[in-house]
Amino acid sequence: MKKMELVKLIDTTRCTACRGCQVACKQWNELPGLKTKNWGSYQNPPDLQWNTWTLIRFNEVADKDNRVKWLFRKDGCMHCTDAACVKVCPSGALYHTEYGTVGIHHERCIGCKECMAACPFEIPKYDRDTDKVYKCDLCYSRIKDDQQPACVKSCPTGALSIGAKDAMIKKAYDRVKKLGGDANVYGDQFVDGTHVIYVLQEKPEMYDHLPKHPRVPFSVVAWKDFLKPISLLAAGGVLAGSFLHYIIHGPKTPDDIQENKTQGGE
Amino acid sequence: MTNHYIDLKNSDCILIMGSNAAEHHPIAFKWILRAKEQNGATLIHVDPRYTRTSARCDFHVPLRSGTDIAFLGGMINYIIANNKWFKDYVLNYTNASFIVGQDYFFKDGLFSGYDAKTRKYDKATWVLEKEGNGIPKRDMSLQNPRCVFQMLKEHYSRYTLEKVSSITGVSKEDLVKVYAAYSATGVPDKAGTECYALGWTHHTTGSQIIRTMSIIQLLLGNMGIAGGGVNALRGEPNVQGSTDHAILYNILPGYLKMPTGSLDTLEKYLHKCTPESKDPQSANYYQNYPKFFVSFLMSMFHDKATKENEFGYSWLPKMDDGAAYSLMHLFDKMYEGKIKGLFAVGTDPAVSSPNAGKVRKALEKLDWMVGENIFNNETYAFWKGPGVDPQKVKTEVFLLPASASMEKEGSQSNSGRWVQWKYKAAEAPGDAIPVGELTIKIMAEIKALYAKEGGVCPEPILNLKWDYTDYKGRFDSLKVAKQINGYFLEDTVIEDKDKKTKTEFKKGQLVPTFGNLQLDGSTSSGNWVMAGSFTAEGENKMAKRGKEDSTGLGLYPNWSYAWPVNRRIIYNRASCDVNGNPYNPKRKLLAWVGDKWVGDVPDGPWPPQANKEKGKYPFIMKQDGLGALFGPGMVEGPFPEHYEPLEGPLAQNPMSSQRINPAIKIFNSELDKVANADEKFPYVCTTYSCTEHWCSGAYTRWQMWLLEMQPELYVEIGEVLAKERGIKNAEKVKVSSVRGEVECVAMVTKRFRPFTVEGKTVHQVGLPFNYGWLFPEGGSDSTNLLTPTVGDANTFCPEYKAFMVNVSKL
Amino acid sequence: MKKGMIQATDAFERITHWLLAISCLVLCITGLGMMFHSFNFVGTMMGGLKSLKYVHNFTALIFIVALYMAVRMWWKEAGVFVLPEDLDWIKAAGGYLWHVDKVPEVGKYNPGQKAFFLVVALCGSLMVVTGLIMWAPLIFPVWLVRWMYPLHALGFVAIFSFFFVHLYLGTIGSPGSAPAMFSGWVTRAWLLKQHPKWLKEMEEHGTLVVYGEEKESIEHGH
Repeated sequence: MKKMELVKLIDTTRCTACRGCQVACKQWNELPGLKTKNWGSYQNPPDLQWNTWTLIRFNEVADKDNRVKWLFRKDGCMHCTDAACVKVCPSGALYHTEYGTVGIHHERCIGCKECMAACPFEIPKYDRDTDKVYKCDLCYSRIKDDQQPACVKSCPTGALSIGAKDAMIKKAYDRVKKLGGDANVYGDQFVDGTHVIYVLQEKPEMYDHLPKHPRVPFSVVAWKDFLKPISLLAAGGVLAGSFLHYIIHGPKTPDDIQENKTQGGE
Repeated sequence: MTNHYIDLKNSDCILIMGSNAAEHHPIAFKWILRAKEQNGATLIHVDPRYTRTSARCDFHVPLRSGTDIAFLGGMINYIIANNKWFKDYVLNYTNASFIVGQDYFFKDGLFSGYDAKTRKYDKATWVLEKEGNGIPKRDMSLQNPRCVFQMLKEHYSRYTLEKVSSITGVSKEDLVKVYAAYSATGVPDKAGTECYALGWTHHTTGSQIIRTMSIIQLLLGNMGIAGGGVNALRGEPNVQGSTDHAILYNILPGYLKMPTGSLDTLEKYLHKCTPESKDPQSANYYQNYPKFFVSFLMSMFHDKATKENEFGYSWLPKMDDGAAYSLMHLFDKMYEGKIKGLFAVGTDPAVSSPNAGKVRKALEKLDWMVGENIFNNETYAFWKGPGVDPQKVKTEVFLLPASASMEKEGSQSNSGRWVQWKYKAAEAPGDAIPVGELTIKIMAEIKALYAKEGGVCPEPILNLKWDYTDYKGRFDSLKVAKQINGYFLEDTVIEDKDKKTKTEFKKGQLVPTFGNLQLDGSTSSGNWVMAGSFTAEGENKMAKRGKEDSTGLGLYPNWSYAWPVNRRIIYNRASCDVNGNPYNPKRKLLAWVGDKWVGDVPDGPWPPQANKEKGKYPFIMKQDGLGALFGPGMVEGPFPEHYEPLEGPLAQNPMSSQRINPAIKIFNSELDKVANADEKFPYVCTTYSCTEHWCSGAYTRWQMWLLEMQPELYVEIGEVLAKERGIKNAEKVKVSSVRGEVECVAMVTKRFRPFTVEGKTVHQVGLPFNYGWLFPEGGSDSTNLLTPTVGDANTFCPEYKAFMVNVSKL
Repeated sequence: MKKGMIQATDAFERITHWLLAISCLVLCITGLGMMFHSFNFVGTMMGGLKSLKYVHNFTALIFIVALYMAVRMWWKEAGVFVLPEDLDWIKAAGGYLWHVDKVPEVGKYNPGQKAFFLVVALCGSLMVVTGLIMWAPLIFPVWLVRWMYPLHALGFVAIFSFFFVHLYLGTIGSPGSAPAMFSGWVTRAWLLKQHPKWLKEMEEHGTLVVYGEEKESIEHGH
């Protein structure tokens, strides 16, 4: 099944927040632009939404010398190996592709939104009109034809690149080594490794909306990995118990039925 | 650009000042990042506002809008005082050693020759002394107090760190940080480059800012080398292509000069425009000006142009002497009711011109207007704009649908002077046709009317060569391109006396290089710099897509055509010492090997200048062949000087008693109000574009993907000012100047900080200029309702980047 | 109908019971269809999982009504344990699991049935609350929503288990019981075996309705 695990590297130290990726994504995936208003930020739409699968997040921070820094982060599906969304998806709409990425069969999505609650990065977004959930599929329609995802293709500065998992992880660590300081690789050490990884210039907590320690929520693990088998056991136990009860102890029959089998309205 | 986009990667220090390169040249910005990654280049951003460019630079230094000359003047002072200049280069390749004329002086902000009444200089005293044989006097020891170097040193010694810091609002530490980092490139094996754009040109001192940088680059030996240069980043609006092809009122194609009324004969005109040099080592390439100009006339009037009728020189329109015809003059005259008709092609001045309120009023005085564009815009719809009663507007407006750039074949010029041929990608919708075709059809009709009815001075129109359609009567861009390149109009033999070769060309063949253009009318060329964009046999070099890169410097000589003669870096002979050995062996742009230059296309075939017989100086387009530290080219003086913007926070110029540029034109209509150092308008304002929109937004505001990202007008306000004014982020506010006001969203940001200028706190705010009332509905109106009608003294490029406003809660 | 049969339930009780039972069954089956990919075929039978989701969600509305009716009707009889007799019954496990000479006598509902009622009432309410939050998760904080899924599933496991026990004991595990929820009439012998105390009470209060005899009273006791 697995052809080759792909990893997309987002090097935030090369990103100029031109948002070519945000538009290229919409163009390739035929997603509309919707009416917005300026809410006091360059970041628009304010969050990922059903028609916005990738988004540049802008946040202004002042460092310890009171010098301003403007941090840009391209947000979007991280394509986890241990993907909570795939775990909880009741219909199999969310699935792991042969590249290790998380694809989505939109025709199978039933709009239950369970993935939205499960995703540690809060990526899947719901559309009321189609009653379905949407998210980046790393341009599965392109990568299966050996094309780069639309966002990577559009990136002018080389902030985005895609390739074989090991090579990309090495590239990320080489880059971080060169950058020094607080620079770090984000993604490969979480949820069994994401298929989108970042080179961050600053510590993860400096970035808007980026969990410091993303993990499959305990509620999902508790249910899917522990309680689900136990509950199956319990249900099976009830069935088996009833059967055993019937054959060992026997039914609790009224006395006159034992005396007169013709009575009792079955 | 003296260099080109890819060449930015060869730099060791990139000063981005007057540009927001990451936001407005996002594709080119990769080469800037590459310089950082491959050479460890230092990236410096000097800009009033922290932008997406600042985010990617090593450091950002904010300066108050309109104080760039002070900032750079301080750098010149630093370079000279700290001995950072590149001596070999300065001595051999600049006019540092020349002696300035005795009558030249500078006093309290004014140079010799000023006439306060006309606000103009007589440049007669801005000259360099010559020996009896006409060759400039030089003092190679640079000790003569009247030599250019000493005059330069004296002039900029006034730009002390204290003074500059007090004017610009930049701390002394930051000044030194930038000066030190940049002047470290004043050594043979380092290259520093400068990227500017509208952040420099949009000032009343714009041209002189660029000249100040040119002086710095000459001092540091950064001109003509890989990774150096002074680089204007032009972009998609095709400023490069349109200026090459004479979009400005004062030039003809190829930067030939527009004739004026007093130059009533060809002889007078050519005499005025053709520079002379007695120095045998100065190539003085513009001595060929007459050949370029006559060939231009031949392309205009072809067989109607003869020696007897001065090749039709009299048919060219002439400007009145001393008059200017810039966009601002044009709307000023229109407002006075003196202009009756307007072709507004691919433009939206009701949004993009300064003092847009005046522009809109002026449009009401037109009898007719023809618009040619891909979308409707605020200019064409001015008659139903805010506050306009359509009943009272008599202007008749015609809007002709034009096709977009992707819907037609033709050439596109990038900032690196590359002229790239591209093909049609899609059919235009509906009746839309290329603007070229519209022009050809309209002009053909006008010619027919003149032929039938006659009229005042019909000759220029009737004699104009006008056969640019294909067999179906459609615009033929290749025919136009070939006409621009130029033809041999007669069988011609070109003789090269040095190489002792003779080449024959047949009538009707294309001119393969502007070196072949003739004075006798036997060649034509619509634009001499483009002569060579085709081979004689008709191969279109603009369509070449070869990826060979023999120098490894990213010159890609076989990719498209770069004017002039496919030279990728101009003045490239200055990258070698006087013997033709590269200054920087790691980046060999050019080298004199045996008896020829190897590398880029050199600035002429002559040997390097150490060869006193045949060698030439490297700056071949300059009269004296050398880089001009002192030059009479600009109208406001041979050395750039700091003046305050027309509207600023200061009542006095800290440098002199000349507050504003003494040579700028002051417009005086009742709508041209000015409020300098006025407490009603206490904040410095600048305007800019955003990545997501294109110019006035007339194309991009209709594109939902882009509009979604930047939906409406906003004003960026620093946190300190916002707190002071009780303004919260995302709140609606009013920004007003003495000329007008706009409502917009407040974007409270850490990226604007107050400046300390002359001991007091000065706040600066900024707005993008990408919005207009037409679309999106209920959106915001043009930022240019605020800006003043004033521009650079040389180019009349408007001062969009520095004026005064107030910001208040709604 | 035989003469001498005794009315154990009236029509309202039975309607409520079956409304609850059927909606619960549908919810269980459709829920299973979403809980396990191997049960996705249930959705296929309904024209796709999306239809199944709608069936599940709108059946839940019926379930809510039925649950409300059932709780209102039964909480006094089945929702309160009576000591010490219920404790005695529990100690004897109602005679279901091992031989008991004399099962302690309890009223209309034995503690087992009471427990089942309480499970249905409490877990049902849990299912309603968690289900409604899951239906509109976007208006609740995500940490809350996240826990709704395992709770909903846990509630399902509990209800499903008790449901099955109930089904078994209401049918083959306790012959004679089923008619109480179909026709409403049961035999005196079954009553004597299962609910001797209730029989006595009905006789004492004169509320006993016997088929073929004059009705003494049709008022029933909730």
